[in-house]
Parts: sequence; structure tokens; C-alpha cells
Amino acid sequence: MGKLDGKVACITGGTRSIGRGMADAFIAEGAKVVVNGRDAVKGQACLDEIGAGDNAAFFAGDASKQDAVEGLVDFTIERYGQLDICCLNSGGVLQTAPVAQMSDEEWALEIDWNLNHVFWGMRRALQHMIPRESGRVIVTSSVEGKLGKPGIPGYSATKHAVNGLVKAAAREVGTLGITVNAILPGIIETDIVRETGPDSAVAMGVGTYDALISMFSSESAIKRPNTVEEVAAVAVLLASDAARNMTGCMFPVDGGTMPY
Amino acid sequence: MGVLDGRVACITGGTRGIGLGIAKGFLDEGAMVVVNGRDRAKAEQTLAALDAGDRVHFIAGDVKQRESCEAIVDGTVDHFGRIDILVANAGGGSGHAPIVDLTDEAMQDALVWNFWHTFWTMRRAFHYMIPQQSGRVMSVSSLEGKVGKPGISIYVTAKHAINGLTKSAAHEVGTLGITVNALCPGAIETDIMKAEGPAAAASMGLDYEGLLDMFAQESAIKRLNDVEDVAAVATLLASDAGAGITGSLISIDGGTAPY
Repeated sequence: MGKLDGKVACITGGTRSIGRGMADAFIAEGAKVVVNGRDAVKGQACLDEIGAGDNAAFFAGDASKQDAVEGLVDFTIERYGQLDICCLNSGGVLQTAPVAQMSDEEWALEIDWNLNHVFWGMRRALQHMIPRESGRVIVTSSVEGKLGKPGIPGYSATKHAVNGLVKAAAREVGTLGITVNAILPGIIETDIVRETGPDSAVAMGVGTYDALISMFSSESAIKRPNTVEEVAAVAVLLASDAARNMTGCMFPVDGGTMPY
Repeated sequence: MGVLDGRVACITGGTRGIGLGIAKGFLDEGAMVVVNGRDRAKAEQTLAALDAGDRVHFIAGDVKQRESCEAIVDGTVDHFGRIDILVANAGGGSGHAPIVDLTDEAMQDALVWNFWHTFWTMRRAFHYMIPQQSGRVMSVSSLEGKVGKPGISIYVTAKHAINGLTKSAAHEVGTLGITVNALCPGAIETDIMKAEGPAAAASMGLDYEGLLDMFAQESAIKRLNDVEDVAAVATLLASDAGAGITGSLISIDGGTAPY
């Protein structure tokens, strides 16, 4: 008996890091899950690792592209007959820079990847969920959705924006059995942070990857990064029946970093 | 197999309402639980209904007295050998009035009941949790710990104070395996709400039904919250999975608080 027996979830960027943690946790609680990523080979490897047979599937697509995000929602409904939990989790920065040096291309990418992707996925999911009067939308936001650090202006701006979108959407569908929430993790040493962290550290003026992790950790009360499992546990709660009355919530998983 | 197997929890005011809901949630996950109330006789029926045998223990005490607060925590350790989870849950307000008419006694009572009781139990729990380098402290704050309504300033003030204490405490013990969080529920129609709601409503120029309706209409879900909503979050925070969540003021309010 799992908390998500019979539920169907899709997760953007679900083959690794936070999204993968959510996928593993959802499956452990009895859900069927479609994970998404750009690379079909990595996707198949992910499915092999998950080892959930017919209860997991992969949909290839770039979460910064509208057709891929909408395609994931549509594929999930086609594959499993319904969509109960839509996790809009993908996001990040590619070549971040201070505002004065920010390129139009990077800015546009971050808007598409972090903000538009959430809008596209949420809109498509709600079109399915509203007639069913049931659903969960869970957005992976960030502590930077409430704070703001030098050198990652696009990330801070887009994460603030998705928090606003979550609050507005929660009020639109609040009486329809649908909740819309954001999880705000602190720094987690995911694959993407390891990949882009060294360049971000330079853009943010702290120099090295280790200094970047240390800067984020030192802002917290626990003085360590958070973990994927900590975020996944909150996602399970928000996806479950127990959280039917939690919506529009900015759920912190940040070791005490944010002031509010 | 529960996520709280072998853990020892202490819940102030745990014989009804939110505290009782949290007690049930913890017992379902394998914890041993101390519940507290002023009157043992009133608690007997509740304790019997929990049907948890030796895993539940009652400690009588009035949380408006420091000695009682400390005795509840100490009694938990005496009975079960340790304390892993403290839920400072008791609270409320009586003598509601607009500030211009508010008595010193009403403000003082609300601060003692909500804020001082949280401080007294937290401080005592830290005496045990800091040496063992592990623990979970959570308070049952309120939506009104983040926002403010006219006519219930005693409650709003006391709950805001709890939230400040929570943030500061979280940073004091953050590297010691101890988390400190505040649960901020929206309105729930508990016994205490039924008892105090009419007076609070009158102070706001409403009747009781109007008060409940106001809370519901402020939310996205347009209804009140349930005790079980709070218990589910408390269980998560109390579990190992909650190790990375501290200093948080978690809204369980159907989308009411703006942050």
C-alpha cells in the first residue's frame, strides 16, 4: 500500500538529480511515472536503473521547448490514460553572467527553460485536470525564488516568476480538487550543479565550485547542502491525498536559508 | 514499519484538536507519544480511543505554568527514556478585543499560552536534544503568525513571536542534527475554535459562521483546513526525511498566506 497507488505522474527533467529522486520516490509509493530528458540513450539507462517495468516510461524532449513539454503531458495521458501529478522540475542556467554581461541568448534560454516550460506544462496539465476535478501540479522552484544572488539574475528572476505563477494558478483551481505548489530547495549537489557550478562560481565572483557550495551552505542553518531525497519526500507529501488542502504553498527545503 | 519507529514524541495539549491529530499521525508511524492536557479524567476516553497501549502516555499539566512545561518535557524523558520530537501545540486566545479596548490580562495570557509555553518547552527539550545531537522541535503556529486580522491582535502577536523564535532557534542548533519549524495552519474547526471562535468573531464584528466563512473565502480552496492536513506535515518534519528542513514556517492553509 503506497501513498500514490494508482496515480500517474510526469516529471520534466526526471532522468537524474531532483527529478529522478521524485520518480524513484513516486514509484516506491505505487505511482506510474513518465520521466523526461533530452537524450533517449540516457533515458533508457534511467528506466533500466529504475527497474519498474511497465510502471515507468521515458519521453525524450528538451524542456525549454514548448512542443516537448506539451508532448510529455500528452504522452503521459496517452500511455497511462490519465495525469494526476505534473512535476515541472527541469531548469537551470547554461552560461550565466552578471546583468551587465548577460547575453540575450542566455536570458531567452533561462526564460524558456525555467519559466515558460512551467507555464506550458501547467497549462496543458490543467486542461486535463480541470474536467477531472483532480490533480497536483508541483513546481521545482528554488531559494532564489525568494532571494537573489549576484551573477545569476536570470535564475533569480525566473524562479521568482514561477512562484507568482504558482500562487495565481492555485487560486484559479483551488475549488476544483487541484493543488499547485512550489518546492524551494536550497543548494543540492546535483549533476547539473556539478556541470555548471564552476562557471557559475566565476560569474558570481566566488571563484571555485567548492567556494560556491560553501557560500550557499554557509547561508543555511544546517551548514550543508540539501539532498535530493529531502526534496522527494516533500514532493510525495504534496502529491498525496494528505496534502489535498495545501496549495499555493512555497515549501522550503533549504536548511533554514530563506528569511520567510 | 513506520517512519517514526522507536522515536519518542511529546505533544503539549495533545488530547484533542490538532495535537490529537498529530498524536495519531505519529502513533501510526511507530512513535511513542506523550500527550498532555490539564485534566487526566477528561483525557481518559481519548487515550483509550487511541488504543496504542504502552506507546502512549499522558502527563497532566497546565502549559501556562513554566514548571508544568518543564515537567512535561522531563516527564517524557523519565517515562520513555528520551525525547526526539517536541510539538509545542497548545495555544489559543481569550479576551479578544480591538486594541483600543484590549486588557493587559488578555495580551499577557495569549503570550504565556502560545509564546512562553513554546519557549519553555523548547528550551527544556534542547537540554536533552543538544547532547544527543538529534531532535525535532515544531510549534503549531498559525496563518496568523504570518498575516494579521483586526480584533485578534493577541493571537496574531503571539503567533508571530513563535515564528521569530523558530527562525532564531533553527540557526542556533542547525549543525547539531536538530530542526526547528513552525506549522502555520489556516482555520480548523477544532474544539478550541468552537469555544473561542464566537468571542473572536464578536471582536471582529462578525458572528461565528461569518468568521469561519471569512477564513474559507480568503483561501484558494474556499473551505477550512483539517487536523489531518497538519498531522501529515508534522510527520514529514519529524521523520528522517525532514532533516534538511529547518527554520521554516510551513503554510497549511489552502493557499491563504501570501508567502
